[in-house]
Formats: sequence, C-alpha cells, structure tokens
Amino acid sequence: MTLWDLKQGTSATVQSFVSSLESSYRTRLSELGFHPGESISCVLSPSLGAPKLYRVNNSVYSLDDSVASLIEVGTQVGTGK
Amino acid sequence: MSKTILIGSPNSGKSLLFNRLTGLNQKVANFPGITVNINAGKSLAHPSNEFLDFPGAYSLQTISGEEKVAVDAFYTALNDPETSTVVCVVDVTRLEKGLIFALQVINACAEHKKPLIIAANMIDVLEQHSMNMDIAKLEKALGVPVIAVSAKSGSGLEQLQDRAINHQQLPSAYSSDIIASDESLIHRQAQQLATDFGPKGDLLINAQTKLDEFFLHSWFGGLSFLVIMYLLFQSIFTWAAPVMDGVEGTLQLMAEFILPLLPAGVVSDFTADALFGGIGAFLVFVPQIFVLTLVVGMLEDSGYLARAAVICHKPLRLFGLTGKSFIPMLSSVACAIPGIYAARTVDSPRKRWLTYLAIPLMPCSARLPVYSLLIAAFIPASNMFGGLIGWQGLAMFGIYVFGIVCGLLVTALVSKTNKAMQSDLPFVLEMPPYRLPSWRPLLRNAWSRSKHFVTKAGKVIFLVTVVIWLLGYFPNQGADLGESWLGTMGQWIEPAFAPFGLDWKYGVAILTSFLAREVFVGTLGTLFGIEGGEENIISLAEHIQNSGLPVGAGFALLVFFSIALQCVSTLAVLRKETGSWRLPTQLFVSYSILAYAAAWLTFVIVQAVAG
Repeated sequence: MTLWDLKQGTSATVQSFVSSLESSYRTRLSELGFHPGESISCVLSPSLGAPKLYRVNNSVYSLDDSVASLIEVGTQVGTGK
Repeated sequence: MSKTILIGSPNSGKSLLFNRLTGLNQKVANFPGITVNINAGKSLAHPSNEFLDFPGAYSLQTISGEEKVAVDAFYTALNDPETSTVVCVVDVTRLEKGLIFALQVINACAEHKKPLIIAANMIDVLEQHSMNMDIAKLEKALGVPVIAVSAKSGSGLEQLQDRAINHQQLPSAYSSDIIASDESLIHRQAQQLATDFGPKGDLLINAQTKLDEFFLHSWFGGLSFLVIMYLLFQSIFTWAAPVMDGVEGTLQLMAEFILPLLPAGVVSDFTADALFGGIGAFLVFVPQIFVLTLVVGMLEDSGYLARAAVICHKPLRLFGLTGKSFIPMLSSVACAIPGIYAARTVDSPRKRWLTYLAIPLMPCSARLPVYSLLIAAFIPASNMFGGLIGWQGLAMFGIYVFGIVCGLLVTALVSKTNKAMQSDLPFVLEMPPYRLPSWRPLLRNAWSRSKHFVTKAGKVIFLVTVVIWLLGYFPNQGADLGESWLGTMGQWIEPAFAPFGLDWKYGVAILTSFLAREVFVGTLGTLFGIEGGEENIISLAEHIQNSGLPVGAGFALLVFFSIALQCVSTLAVLRKETGSWRLPTQLFVSYSILAYAAAWLTFVIVQAVAG
C-alpha cells in the first residue's frame, strides 16, 4: 500500500519509494522525514481528493496524491476514524 | 563592517528575528519561504555589525530555484572575509526539522572556517505551555553555542547580539558525511538530538491538528475560506471608510484655507486643479491600501495562508496551477511585484510560469483607487440585511472575483494548449503552527507599503498631473478644456474609446494609466478640475456622475482595468525573473487586446440590459 491509502488516524512505516520518483525529490522527502524506516501518521484526510496531512515527528506536511502515492508503506497501525 | 549571516529552515521565525535585531521592516509571514531576497540591516545594539537575512532553505542540497538562490548566496557569503559569524535559526517547537538543516550548516561552517551560533527560537511558546528543553546539553552535544531566544517577545536577543560580535570559536564538523547522499543518517542524528534534549509531549501538535480539523474540513474549511476572503474585501471598504472620509475632509479644509490666500490666476488654478484635484484625489485611497496590506499580513502571520493553499490545491490543479500558486496570487492582490517574487516558492517550473500568467490579472492595490472611484460613481452606498452587506463592498468583491476568474481561465487555456516544461514536481507543503499575529511588524509593514505606494506612485502622478494640467490649461487659461492643446490631442484618440462610450477625457486618462494604473485617478481629477472652474472642490465620483457617463461605459472601464497590464514595474520585474522580455511582451500585448475586446463587449451588454 502507499501513503495515500493510509486512513486518517492511522500510521505506517515508510518502506520505499516508487522508482519513478525523481531522485532530487526522493532526497528532499527523506530530509523532511519520509525515509524508509520512519513512522508516518495521517492526521487529516479531507474528502474530495484534497491533499492529506501527514505527521512526521513534530512536523506536519500536506501531500497530494501525486506524491503520496509514490511512497510505499508497511502495515497500517490503528483503526482510523 | 563585520557581517552576520542569518539562515534557517523555512518558517523558523528568522525574518521576525531579523526585524527585531535591526529595527528594519521586512515582510514577516507565517508561510514557508516568504523571504525571497537577501535583506541587510545594521545591528541595533552594535551598528558596526550588519545582519544579512537569507531565504529559508530545508537543505543545502537544493531542488527549487528559490533554494538555489539562497544556498548559492550562502556559500558566497561564507567565502566573504567580512562575514564574521553565522546564526542558524531553529524553531524549538519543531526541533528535529530545524536540526536537520542546522547539522548541515555546522559542517559548512566548519569547512569554511566561520564561527556559528544556533538561535533556539520560539522559546516563549514552550514557556507558555509549561514545556522545556535542555539547551545546555544540546550546546554541548553540537559543540556550538545555543542561545534561547524569542523573536516575538524579544527575550535573549541582547545575548544573541553580543555573541554575534564576540564569538570566534570555529565549529567542528558534526559528522563527516552529513552533506553526503545518506540523508537518513543526518535525519537519525537530528532525531536523536531532538529526543534527548528537545521538548517532550504532543501538546502543540495536537492543538494544531484540532484547528486543522476545522479549517481543512471538507465543508467548514471551504466555508470559512470563503467567509475569510469575503471579509478581507469587505474590510477594505468598512475599515478604511472613516479614514478616507478624514483624508478627504482634511484636503477639503486645506483647499478652503489655502486657495483664497492665492492670487487668482495660473498659480491658484494649478493648486486647485493639479494639486487638490489630481494628487488629492489619489491620496484619498491610500487608507484602503493600508487596510488591505494589514489584513493580508494578518492572514500570513496567523499560519492560515498555508491552509488556504491546501484548500485551493485541488481546484487550482483544474486550471493547471498548484496550491502553492495561491500565495503569489494572493500577494498580488496587494501588489504584483511581491507576488512575482513569491512565485519562486512554486518549485515546479511549469506551474511557476503559469502562475506568472495569472499574477497580472490579480486585482492589485493600484487598481483599487480606480475600482473605488468607479464603484462610488455607479453603485449606491446603501446596505442590505440590516447593514450586514453593503452594495459597494459586494461590487468590489465581484470585480475582484472577476479578475481572479480571468486569471484562472487564462492559465487553464494555456495549460491545455501549451505543453512546455511538462516535467513536474509534486505537491509537498509544510503546515506551520497557528500563531497570534505580531501586531507591531504588521502595522509597520502596512505603513511602509502605503508610504512606498505614495512615494513611488506619487512621483509619476505628480509629473503626469503637471503635464496634463499644462496641456489642458493652455492656450486659453482653462476657459475651455475642449479647445486646449490636450483637448485637440484628445479628439484624435477619441475614436479608439468611443466604442465603449468614453469621451476623450477618459481616453487621455486611460493612456496615461499605462505608466501606472493609479495615474488614471490623478489625470481624471486634474481634467475635471480644469473643467469645473471654481466649483471643482467636489469629489471626483460626483464629477463622473455629473459628466453623464453611461452606466455601460462605467462597467466597461472596470473590466478594462481588471484585465489590462498597465504597470511598467510589473513588466520590468517579470523580465528580471524570467530572464527575457519575451513573456512580459507577450502578456502586455495579449492582455491589452483582451481588455479592449472585453470592455467593448461589456459596454454593449450593459447598455442593452440598462435600455
């Protein structure tokens, strides 16, 4: 599953990036905390396909489907809301 | 003079700190990447030391044009012998993120042999929530001084200024391969430092999430966005109205006092027509520019603008843009120039280019005097729903929406038909914490923007007003404006503007407004001043009403001004940012043609409806 599939209120660990993601952006995402092994939680998932809010430690980032669907994550933890 | 570099990740409070340290009035906003130029200012405590404020960067490895400007300039400054110290600003409420960048800066400073200080900013937020962090141990672990400061309250700034001129100890590299490709290593190190010495608990982030749940809610979020935007435009009228009345009344009193003291003739006519009629008519609108800048500043400072960018992302994507385009577009509502600079934060080159197309169509504050004048002349100053909604405010909202819609339609059309720069960057935007706005810098910024507006536009308006007055007054000493030199010239251009019901006076005012839009008001004020003779000290809106201008022509003028690119400064800055005259020339020609055609169509439709 990808980060975009994560339900609001759940978290998962980043596993890898989809190979089509540009390397410079892969680096930037890693610097922001979206790197393999890191736990990311989805704090807000508005409807109508709007960008979702993801928490990495004490920072919150908004990602749209074009990037969140390129980050592969492991098993979802939590039931979501 | 020694120099101290201020650097930090976006939204670390660096610009507010710079303002506190130097007393300068740089625009401060709670949105990632608002500093787009390098600002310099002398230290208030030690005037022999100069602070340089660099744009925020997430990393010394750049991926966007804006970051490259910042990082290249940072390395150049590190090689400058005059650079004595570097201050890296870190937001302690998001310590880990700040430390990722700070660790890279430590290594860069070690390599270039420059002393470094870490400013642990926003310490007041931790104190407010009874949270703390171990500054002394963090300092020991990093091997560089860490000073707790609050740019908002001013605490710790004295110590920071003293250390900035006295600290000479060079840092050691924190890790040998931090600027190497393994970014997860630096992240792990920053994470460990933040866990060991940073504030504990989720209090701040939980509070932020609660507010986000409201402001980004599928329905409440969209509704609150519309209400906030509507209040923004309504405030331009309701908050500014008493001050505008005050300015108008003062000018009238001054005219009544000064004019009788002057001998009748050229000097008296010039003072009445050109000074009070022309420049005075423009000054009346300055309070609106103040209010607009203040309210946009409040939204930026509160952290709401980043949420607005998220809300707008999906709709803007339909028009080929991104949520990040919202900030430059909203900045352009105050002035297109900062909007064009802010477009550097749009990291995708294609979307930045499309944002440039939309910016000149955003309803900037130079259009405001023109809109206000025409709305005052054609829309009744009455209210509905018990004074809750004013017709004039509603009309202003409508014309602003019209400009924005035009901008979006243009980008949608170009995006569909032009496939240049197709490779794209995805949407990742940091959500800054919500904050209560800092009033002092906001008020100072609004004041300086208004002052800049008066001094910058004032010079052009004065020059144009004098030329227009001379041409309109002679050779018959103002006896008949139609027979003056200007009147003769005006007859030649009248056929160009006759299709949308305008006589030559409006034609002359439109032509002069191609220097800057607001010149329209000054030119028209001068022309009606000459024509009105002794009875010229009435408002310009009344002059327009008395001139018998058809209502269709009034609406045509509104449409013309909302599309035409009449701003020399915008063209020059676009040239600077894009590196060629190609885009500014294309925009100037195409928007002039579009404005003319749309104005004609508006005139035809409104006249047909009005009968």
